[in-house]
Amino acid sequence: MAGYFKSIRDGFKLRNFTNYILIAAALILFLILELTGVLRRSHANLLAQVGFSIILAVSLNLVVGFLGELSLGHAGFMCAGAYIGCFVANQLHKTSLPPLVTLIVAMAVGGIVAALFGFVVGLPALRLKGDYLAIVTLAFGEIVRNICKNLPWFGGAMGLPTEQYGTHLFIVAFAVVLLMLILTQNLIHSKHGRAITAIRDNEIAARAMGINVVFYKLFVFVFTAFFAGVAGVIYGYYTTPVIYSSFTFNYSIEILVMVVLGGMGNITGSILSASLITVVNFVLQSNLSGDQAAIKYLVYALILMVTILFNNAPAFRPIKEKIGLQAILSRVRKKFGLKHPSENPEEIVDDSAKWHRIPTKIKMDSILSTDLKPADDGTLEPDPRQEDKHE
Amino acid sequence: MKLSTKRWICSLMLVSMLLLCFAGCGKANSKDTWNIGATGPLTGSASSYGISVKNGAELAIEEINKAGGLAGHDFKFDMKDDQAQPGPAGQGYDVLYEAGMIASIGSVTSDSCLAFGAKAAKDNLFFITPSASAQAVIETGTNAFRVCFGDPDQGTLAAQQIKADGYTKVGCIYDTSDPYSAGIYEAFKAEMDKQGIAFNTQSFDKDNNKDFSSQVEQLKECDIIFCPFYYTEAALVAQSCVSKSVNAVLFGCDGFDGIAGMFSDTDVISNKILYITPFDVNSTEAKSAAFVSAYKAKYGSEPDQFAADGYDAIYLIYTAMKQADIKDLSLTASQVCELIKGVILQSSFSYAGVTGTMTWDASGACTKTPIIVEYKK
Amino acid sequence: MTATTFIDGLSLGAIYALIALGYTMVYGIAKMLNFAHGDIIMVGAYTVYSTLLWMGKPILAVIFAIAVCVILGVVIEKVAYKPLRGASPLAVLITAIGVSYLLQAIAQLAFGAKAVPVGLPRFPVLHIGDKLVVNVSTLITLGVGSVLMIALTLFIKKSKIGRAMIAVSEDRKAAQLMGVNVNRIISLTFAIGSALAAVASIFYLMQIPNTSPTLGSMPGIKAFTAAVIGGIGSIPGAMIGGVLLGVVEKICLSIPALNPYTTAIEFAILIVILMVRPTGILGKKIREKV
Repeated sequence: MAGYFKSIRDGFKLRNFTNYILIAAALILFLILELTGVLRRSHANLLAQVGFSIILAVSLNLVVGFLGELSLGHAGFMCAGAYIGCFVANQLHKTSLPPLVTLIVAMAVGGIVAALFGFVVGLPALRLKGDYLAIVTLAFGEIVRNICKNLPWFGGAMGLPTEQYGTHLFIVAFAVVLLMLILTQNLIHSKHGRAITAIRDNEIAARAMGINVVFYKLFVFVFTAFFAGVAGVIYGYYTTPVIYSSFTFNYSIEILVMVVLGGMGNITGSILSASLITVVNFVLQSNLSGDQAAIKYLVYALILMVTILFNNAPAFRPIKEKIGLQAILSRVRKKFGLKHPSENPEEIVDDSAKWHRIPTKIKMDSILSTDLKPADDGTLEPDPRQEDKHE
Repeated sequence: MKLSTKRWICSLMLVSMLLLCFAGCGKANSKDTWNIGATGPLTGSASSYGISVKNGAELAIEEINKAGGLAGHDFKFDMKDDQAQPGPAGQGYDVLYEAGMIASIGSVTSDSCLAFGAKAAKDNLFFITPSASAQAVIETGTNAFRVCFGDPDQGTLAAQQIKADGYTKVGCIYDTSDPYSAGIYEAFKAEMDKQGIAFNTQSFDKDNNKDFSSQVEQLKECDIIFCPFYYTEAALVAQSCVSKSVNAVLFGCDGFDGIAGMFSDTDVISNKILYITPFDVNSTEAKSAAFVSAYKAKYGSEPDQFAADGYDAIYLIYTAMKQADIKDLSLTASQVCELIKGVILQSSFSYAGVTGTMTWDASGACTKTPIIVEYKK
Repeated sequence: MTATTFIDGLSLGAIYALIALGYTMVYGIAKMLNFAHGDIIMVGAYTVYSTLLWMGKPILAVIFAIAVCVILGVVIEKVAYKPLRGASPLAVLITAIGVSYLLQAIAQLAFGAKAVPVGLPRFPVLHIGDKLVVNVSTLITLGVGSVLMIALTLFIKKSKIGRAMIAVSEDRKAAQLMGVNVNRIISLTFAIGSALAAVASIFYLMQIPNTSPTLGSMPGIKAFTAAVIGGIGSIPGAMIGGVLLGVVEKICLSIPALNPYTTAIEFAILIVILMVRPTGILGKKIREKV
């Protein structure tokens, strides 16, 4: 753990600016709207919902996209965090602490308790793989829910009543999103992040390279569970009461949908798809009322299937190349004479020089750099375009 | 700082979409109707109750509008789907309130109604829930009322009835996942303990457990089984009794109302089924009979107690508003709330609906006479 | 625990096992988690309901339910899963979830959200000895379920198509090179899985005589758990898992102290079994290749 923080401190940078700008811009924009009183209450609450959805999606993306393990129990962590965090908050509300302090304490407690649960789930992850791990996480989520329902001090079937924070909740939520992005993106780009992706790509090779697989797997589960727990507390503040029936495995699957649609291992993608799905759900929910409510799932299901089929089916590839987002963008770029970074080989930064930070037993990079020197006739020179695609 | 065009365009699209959605909802409300809102489960496993309430309420609205509405303006009823979850119920409340809701019939289920009530209390918006019977619901604020019986009342009443009928071998099945069921059970247990009658308790969780043969099997020695839950599960318990040849009397609460629709023509039910209800679909009383026939004509099925309560809740709001002589559409929800409360809290006020004659006190609880009905094919 | 509880558990286990077989076969051969499988049961139940309503003949209802489920299973495979062959397994998983939502939404639009009673004929109750009370439907479920499972095992082991299925599940590419029509085998797998789900839906209705749009989700998840307990991809494993889960569920339900924790106990058993045997009771060991 100490090593982790040290390396984070050494290499601490604000990486991947797009995400910070995206979130900060949204926060500032809506903050202004809120302070000027233009922002409606339903939209302020929607923003809080967007906030915790982003936290959930990005943290799940760490497990699914970066560690490469399928987890269907994210709502379980959220449930644990929500119940315990809000239980603590309810106790603190009796004292004279300001609401913001209470909220922060509740988030910390909820997060830590969820992180403990994450550790417990991480243990089977050391032994199980793929779909077996997926069903264990699902089972774990259901167990947490079942136990929370039956514990007497959590209100049973009636749920745990919570205090409301009001419309400013989204500011807190977005602040947590920013904090999480800083931690997550620095983690991903540190040697630890590379170790995690190495485990995803080939666990045995990673182990052979001296990567501590046990530590990293547990670490990722603890880290993501922490943020799921924090999201759970925000959820508890967003609505009262906290009730176990909100955290079914269907909710876990909904978070997974956000991750998959956004692109696995793509943080910006998770942010965008989490916001989009939440907003789409809100629009469907608030416009299709009465008799039309049943159409909502139909529309949602169709959107889901069409998006996945269009993005993934080989049969659609030619159409996608013509009318897909990438194709449109490349046409736009052509028109303005812009180039995608991958089309500009000169711009690709060779950061292999900085690799000395990886403390491997063998000086791998020195060996590699001598071997890969381009031959005079240029035949051995790796194609930069090809390499970039694997990024 | 490398910013790819794709990301920028994505973000731009998202922000513009958000703004569009915000702008779209932001259109001014020049309302010319009395907006009554509600949330309830219209999809998912609890949706039959939400749809019943919606049907009952819409029928009432249709009749009121046919009769000319109030002060020359029609009533408009909008029910948002909350899937029986608190989150969407709160969200639905916000949307409805911004669309100009002036009074509400709350949410259908208790958990959702807590979320709904917490928000309504801040705006002091009058709501009278047809079916969220948990005690905590009317404790959310002075603006919260209900049409149905409270959970504790029914539990106490059932225990007293069992004592009065002289049953000694008593069993009880309840749903641990349902606030309604758990609430009634607690009051029932307290009263039974007070009366000194021992009883055998079984429980289930309706989300995971639809086969009641195990529970019924455990209660086969009983003469009467108290079943504080809704008709969907009640019908299954009755059928499990048949398949296990258990012949105890099944004694239920107002949730049993509607059980008739849950048996097919070929089903043979050997148990006697009794339930406490404010509303009898076979009643010959003029108002009830008119409601039942209008409901059948509109929806093609018999109304259950949810529909009747929804119908009464809307009529109560209408009656109270009419008596308070509300004419001005520009009144805020809070003002309307005080006016309605001023009417229904008068000691002389009572409202005769299809679920009986009702009076209210300041706690929001409703007083009406329960009847015990026997299910007959 | 009484003998009655045990027999009830076996019969519930038989239902779970029939559904689990669908999961396990599809997983073994198409390497995908078919989350929509639970909803096939729901479609089967509604088919029985409509047939009984229109024609009133239970035997026709059974035939129609099987036919509709088989056609639906194959159509879903062709429309939603086949285009994604070769795509990431998660994409297929999400599509399956989409299909599941779609079927539920269509069922709600077509039949309404309210649970509807299904009037399958009721069976008499048998009193064996003093204590044992068994409904004939329980025995039928047990009997037919066992026969179907034995027949399926024999079909897979002995017939040419069955062996082709095993070949596809072991190595799809090699099987294709040996002249096996992989697409047809996958379709057939879906057809058999859906037929079993239809049979399960009939047994389910014999125990629980009503159906609603969300009927399939819980039995689906329980059966999936059963399939994993037994070792996903293994046919005898699915049966063992199903029966184990059914008996445990009935025992938990009959003990009031354990009753509220039934779900937790069932899933805890799953976790314990997987900790001891990471690929389930009869699952094949995954060999890791470098």
